[in-house]
Amino acid sequence: MSSFQSLMQGFAVALTPLNLLLAFSGCMVGTMVGVLPGIGPITGVAILVPLTFAMKLPPESALILLAGIYYGAMYGGSTTSILLNVPGETASVVTTLDGYQMAKQGRAGPALAIAAIGSFIAGTMSVVGLMFFGPILAKMAIRFGPAEYLALMVFAFSMISSLAGRNLAKALIATMIGLMCATVGLDPGSAVPRYTFGQMKLYDGMDFLVVAIGLFAISEVLVLLEETHTGQSVSATVGKVFISIKEFFFALGSIIRGSLLGFFIGVLPGAGASTASFISYTMEKRISNKDDTFGKGDIRGVAGPESANNAAAGGALIPLITLGVPGSGTTAILLGALLGMNIVPGPLMFQNHPNVVWGLVASMYIGNVMLLILNLPLVGLFVKILLVPRWILIPLVTALSFIGVYSVNNSPFDILLMSGFGVVGYLMRKMDYPLAPVILGLVLGELMEKNLRRAMSISGGDWSYLFSSTICITLWILAVISLFAPVIFTKLGELKKQAVAGDEEI
Amino acid sequence: MTDRITGGLLLIVTLGYGYQAYNLKVGFMSDPIGPKAFPLIIAGLLTFFSLYLLVKPDEEPDWPIWKVWRNKSFVLLSFVFYAYALVSLGFLLATTIEITFLAFMFQGKLWKGLVTGVVSSLLLYTMFVHLLGIPLPLGKIFGG
Repeated sequence: MSSFQSLMQGFAVALTPLNLLLAFSGCMVGTMVGVLPGIGPITGVAILVPLTFAMKLPPESALILLAGIYYGAMYGGSTTSILLNVPGETASVVTTLDGYQMAKQGRAGPALAIAAIGSFIAGTMSVVGLMFFGPILAKMAIRFGPAEYLALMVFAFSMISSLAGRNLAKALIATMIGLMCATVGLDPGSAVPRYTFGQMKLYDGMDFLVVAIGLFAISEVLVLLEETHTGQSVSATVGKVFISIKEFFFALGSIIRGSLLGFFIGVLPGAGASTASFISYTMEKRISNKDDTFGKGDIRGVAGPESANNAAAGGALIPLITLGVPGSGTTAILLGALLGMNIVPGPLMFQNHPNVVWGLVASMYIGNVMLLILNLPLVGLFVKILLVPRWILIPLVTALSFIGVYSVNNSPFDILLMSGFGVVGYLMRKMDYPLAPVILGLVLGELMEKNLRRAMSISGGDWSYLFSSTICITLWILAVISLFAPVIFTKLGELKKQAVAGDEEI
Repeated sequence: MTDRITGGLLLIVTLGYGYQAYNLKVGFMSDPIGPKAFPLIIAGLLTFFSLYLLVKPDEEPDWPIWKVWRNKSFVLLSFVFYAYALVSLGFLLATTIEITFLAFMFQGKLWKGLVTGVVSSLLLYTMFVHLLGIPLPLGKIFGG
């Protein structure tokens, strides 16, 4: 079947009333989650996954809803970056640099407009990319055996660890903690209970949703208890969200560059929207900062990174769908959700579950249009959520977390476990450990062990089998390089700065 | 100092974790490496990283003052309370109490928090149970 036919079939799935409603709800929730600082897409998705399970939604519908939150959040994240100098998401941190300056100059309207339009172009481009590159990558991945998968997961772990935090050792510790949690429960290979301490409740293992909601949502509540100010004040006025044709074309180059860059960064396992927006800003600055306007309200400094993070969100779905190896905390939760619905993403996804894949692709075309409409004329409405006082907002989010966690297994024990992980998450944040690797480790741990043991069964216990194919060796080398590259680059950068004070290629 | 302490604690946990894996009793071997190998690899790597943390700690994080710790413990205790109250008192009552308490902890007026608690727990219950069909406990004291 041709891609076009498949896409039409996907639209047939996405255009059913239920799925349209879910795509819209996902985009709405995503934008809200994006606007609210402190609550990110990972929290939003983690709270909603158990609800989609409990509602017994079909997998394609659940994925349409959850993915909507993920890419919708990329739209909303720019709003507070521009208006308040407070990034709504980590992926919108660099947007504050020029976005807030524009708002201070009374140009909040064009900044918000270009962020929404750039996000739309990037989002659409990344769906097109997903459509074309997804099947190609799936064909390549079909030759992957357990040894290749293991190496690929190691590569994903080293990428996310090297990019996630400032201290590589701590990021690696976070990954290992996730893997440790993944080994709790009955070992599927030999039916031996591991680390259950005689607790029957732990035989099924730790549910990634309980851990994720604890680590992200509950720890955020504990962090927010430290801040003394009572409410956010929306000082900047939104004004008319409008952009002149001239300004649009001025920024178009940045949008296209940001989209392409973001897409390819998103495809890499372990690198996601935050990395993409950061690199895009650095790149834009090098290319476009001829008159030293960056950081002083240059529209291209908003257009580039905001496009990049959206394109990356789309790109990140490719390794998730075609390889079953997610590249970020949020896509790890999406993987967990799919596995929970007995859908194992991988090279055969396009053949075995065409409704899920093509339904998602089609819904993303529709969702991006919805988001453009939601974010251009209605951005003022979303800003209003910031006027809701914290003493209403935080208890409500907590209550939703409770409902989410409780509905995983209908067990109050999970609420205790979640609170425990809330404390762990809080301490880890304070001590500068990244949290996303924990979730990635927890979700991938079981698959990783399964592949390792399968590989060992094939080779009869010969460990050199893990390095026997070219793909394996390449992936292992890439894993090592990505682990140490940032360290080496910063060292080199410092040396270069001392040697020559000029622009260098990255 | 914090990193040294966590490094030390992590080392103890890791060694315990590795020891447990090493002593796993395996009845039959389904595959050449069995359930021990993977945890042992993790334990090995984590031992190395926690030693690294002991040797090269970061600078001290800024910990909150005592009063904030106290507030945090109250909030955590309320979560534990919620976990136990949910089944006996039911979703409506437990959630009302929890939301009221949290609103108060985040500097809301007590009566406003109570109104928020009552209204939102009713709304949430209606939305999840009646609209979305997600079961929530009615509470033993209400005969649920």
